[in-house]
Amino acid sequence: MDTLRVRDAKDVEEAVRAAIANEQPLEIIGHGSKRAIGHTMATNAVLDISALNAVTSYEPNELIVTLQAGAPLADVLSLIDAKNQQFAFEPMNTAPLLGASATGTIGGMIAAGLAGPRRIRAGGARDHLLGAHAVSGFGDSFKTGGKVVKNVTGYDLCKLLAGSWGTLSVMTEVTLKVMPKPEAERTLLLRGLDDAVANKAMTAALGSPYDVSGAAHLPKSAFRARTDELGDIAAQDEALTVLRLEGITASVSHRAGSLRELLAPFGTATLVEDAASSALWATVRDVLPFAAGGALAAWPVWRIVCPPASGAALGTQLARETGGEVIYDWGGGLIWAALPPKADAHASAVRQRTSAFGGHATLIRAAEDVRRGVDVFHPQAPGLAALSERVRASFDPKSILNRGRLKRDATA
Amino acid sequence: MAIMMPASDQAVLARRAEIVAALRAIVPGEGVIDTPAEMRAYESDGLTAYRQPPMVVVLPDTTEQVSLILKYCAGQGIKVVPRGSGTSLSGGALPLEDGVLLGLGKFKRIREIDFDNRVVVTEPGVTNLAISQAVAHAGFYYAPDPSSQIACSIGGNVAENSGGVHCLKYGMTTNNVLGCEIVLMSGEILRIGGKGCENSGYDLMGVITGSEGLLGVITEITVRILQKPETARALMVGFAEVEAAGECVARIIGAGIIPGGMEMMDKPAIHAAEAFVHAGYPLDVEALLIIELDGPKIEVDELITRVETIANACGSTTCQISTSEAERNLFWAGRKAAFPAVGRISPDYLCMDGTIPRGALPKALARIRELSEKYQLGCANVFHAGDGNLHPLILYDANKPGEIERAEAFGADILRACVEFGGVLTGEHGVGIEKRDLMGDMFTEIDLDQQQRLKCAFDAQGLLNPGKVFPTLHRCAELGRMHVHAGKVAFPEIPRF
Repeated sequence: MDTLRVRDAKDVEEAVRAAIANEQPLEIIGHGSKRAIGHTMATNAVLDISALNAVTSYEPNELIVTLQAGAPLADVLSLIDAKNQQFAFEPMNTAPLLGASATGTIGGMIAAGLAGPRRIRAGGARDHLLGAHAVSGFGDSFKTGGKVVKNVTGYDLCKLLAGSWGTLSVMTEVTLKVMPKPEAERTLLLRGLDDAVANKAMTAALGSPYDVSGAAHLPKSAFRARTDELGDIAAQDEALTVLRLEGITASVSHRAGSLRELLAPFGTATLVEDAASSALWATVRDVLPFAAGGALAAWPVWRIVCPPASGAALGTQLARETGGEVIYDWGGGLIWAALPPKADAHASAVRQRTSAFGGHATLIRAAEDVRRGVDVFHPQAPGLAALSERVRASFDPKSILNRGRLKRDATA
Repeated sequence: MAIMMPASDQAVLARRAEIVAALRAIVPGEGVIDTPAEMRAYESDGLTAYRQPPMVVVLPDTTEQVSLILKYCAGQGIKVVPRGSGTSLSGGALPLEDGVLLGLGKFKRIREIDFDNRVVVTEPGVTNLAISQAVAHAGFYYAPDPSSQIACSIGGNVAENSGGVHCLKYGMTTNNVLGCEIVLMSGEILRIGGKGCENSGYDLMGVITGSEGLLGVITEITVRILQKPETARALMVGFAEVEAAGECVARIIGAGIIPGGMEMMDKPAIHAAEAFVHAGYPLDVEALLIIELDGPKIEVDELITRVETIANACGSTTCQISTSEAERNLFWAGRKAAFPAVGRISPDYLCMDGTIPRGALPKALARIRELSEKYQLGCANVFHAGDGNLHPLILYDANKPGEIERAEAFGADILRACVEFGGVLTGEHGVGIEKRDLMGDMFTEIDLDQQQRLKCAFDAQGLLNPGKVFPTLHRCAELGRMHVHAGKVAFPEIPRF
């Protein structure tokens, strides 16, 4: 394996230009924390951006932070936390689920675009990336967006970079929106609901004016794999339906009262506050019941996005048919499914059911030999797939960057 | 006309009658307009300084018709300019002499309201406000609220990534759109996204939003709807200095408060608005902030107190707090009427739309004052202060020789200053033709080449809305060519291990 450790954007340009000349594709890595997601890449040359790790500027009053792409996510979170700010999209820490040791870099966070529970209210990584400098597969540095929230100057290429898994460009510097942390957080907790009823409860909560910032359901079965992080909350081994409220203290208390009344038909909600509440939501965000260190370590894990009100119908069907476990986030719009080991990770069943509900499924954790045999990312309709390929080629015509990561048939 | 548009294709113009007939075969009856008198309504959009009658207007009412029109035009090498309600302030829908103007005004149906998934599926010709009205009975609304919301279409909103007073808290169009049906220039119909939170694959919805009608023609849109906040109250705060008002904005945000809206007006704008609507604005202040808090009553009351404390600490000279809906609406009346109010004090005005970092506000206003002196033209400023989006209104008289040119040069200098201060050319009105030739002040050739290559992925012939956004048009083949870099094969001097 050949590793190039770049120090600045100029190095990245040179590395990509050399790769073009040598027809040698590059695997782009930061900390390598999400390397196990996607297909095995058709290269053994690595472009390591982890040394591009500076904080270019942090302006709390402007609500922006500009970072080199290799800046460690954990360090950046501490930096902005010290000013009582956060990334509102609640980026997932994939390390526990994948069994990785690092939490990754800012670049990886954006390239993967894995937002947490607050996605339903605050948007995803794509909504918080204001600007980027990147090196395309032409070996040229370009910029897109800017350092201000409101900007419609030219195409919004930031949207494409977020969630592109490093296949369009090598990001070298990014500007992200930061938001104030809420003063208080409270979680209403309903016990013992089946998936369908829980989905209805979440729909009612999200359709209320109480500004719910998290709506998740952990069915009883998922707790066979529960971890200590849930502590006393999960001791009774029942299904938990959780709804989060955030904001100024008086408002949160008031809304908690109103929401509890609204949810009365579904049972009497109990209140979980502050630290316990945030531990609970970290559990949901990082899908800890399916963690690599837990009982389901050997099970493949799917991440399924679907219309929220259809979540329970899809999730229960998948769990029943495969004997698997599911967790619902985003009010039912995100399903994490851990399914019993099988050569194809139940891909055909998952894809067929998910497509029928208008969703899409990504095989987020599976052994390499399993990933070799199935599509990790949801196959698109032919016209859309062809457009996506043209879009990819408009950034990287020689397919130098992360070749084959997104598509199985491109690995040849 | 100061802006050069792509040269007209005489061969296409010579075949006009044939083209009209072909379009009539696709869209029968009144859906094809080709008389000069009837086409006059389409010769400009909200940027009325620029006018150009199109070759022909076609108003399809089905996706299939849109597809057939585009396929025909692509096959014949005919340019197409899409148009929604025609309220663009940057000339995004300015017709071309040799182009088909494709109006989406007949796509007026809301296709589905899905409260459980909190989405509305709508055709692009539906107005922004009509979406909110259609779901109001259940307490929902569509959050982005451009000031033209009574007239502007949701399709145009997607094309321009429209903002509005409330986008500080609730985001722009791009943050509130989930999916679409789009017809490419080839006539191919694609569906992107849906009712889920995220699309599969690359975020094409994200890049189509704000693409100013250059990538495809949208025929259906899925938008997110939200529950209306329980209540809203506003503060109207006056300052003796612009700097103090800017400081107040920074401190409110710094205190972790994101108001529903936070607007600033300078003295000329305050005076014009007050003379027009009599909202009770203080006339002896240099800057006025209107700050709206929304949410549960208990939260709004608490935040009003906190904001008032901050305003006092920043040296506010007047502070009124709304105690009723009528009063809140009165505070807003002047701001919302600021443009027509300025229209009363000046025969003509140009509305600019740059964004700057919030902290650069005093610097930017000082620069605008200098430029106002230099160009000998007045300027009133309204400002989405919370997100740094500046709307200087340059006052001029089109009947006085040379004034429009001076006004345009003044405007261009303001936008260049925005870029100089770390901001951008346009916050919400779009590039269109208005700021097209300034793109080089913000982007390098390489930046723009990458954007145009993306355009090629959607429209390889460059027939959809050419002459907008990009100052120079390149052929796709030329853009796709790999540069041969000097020292290309030499291995880079990078640490390796």
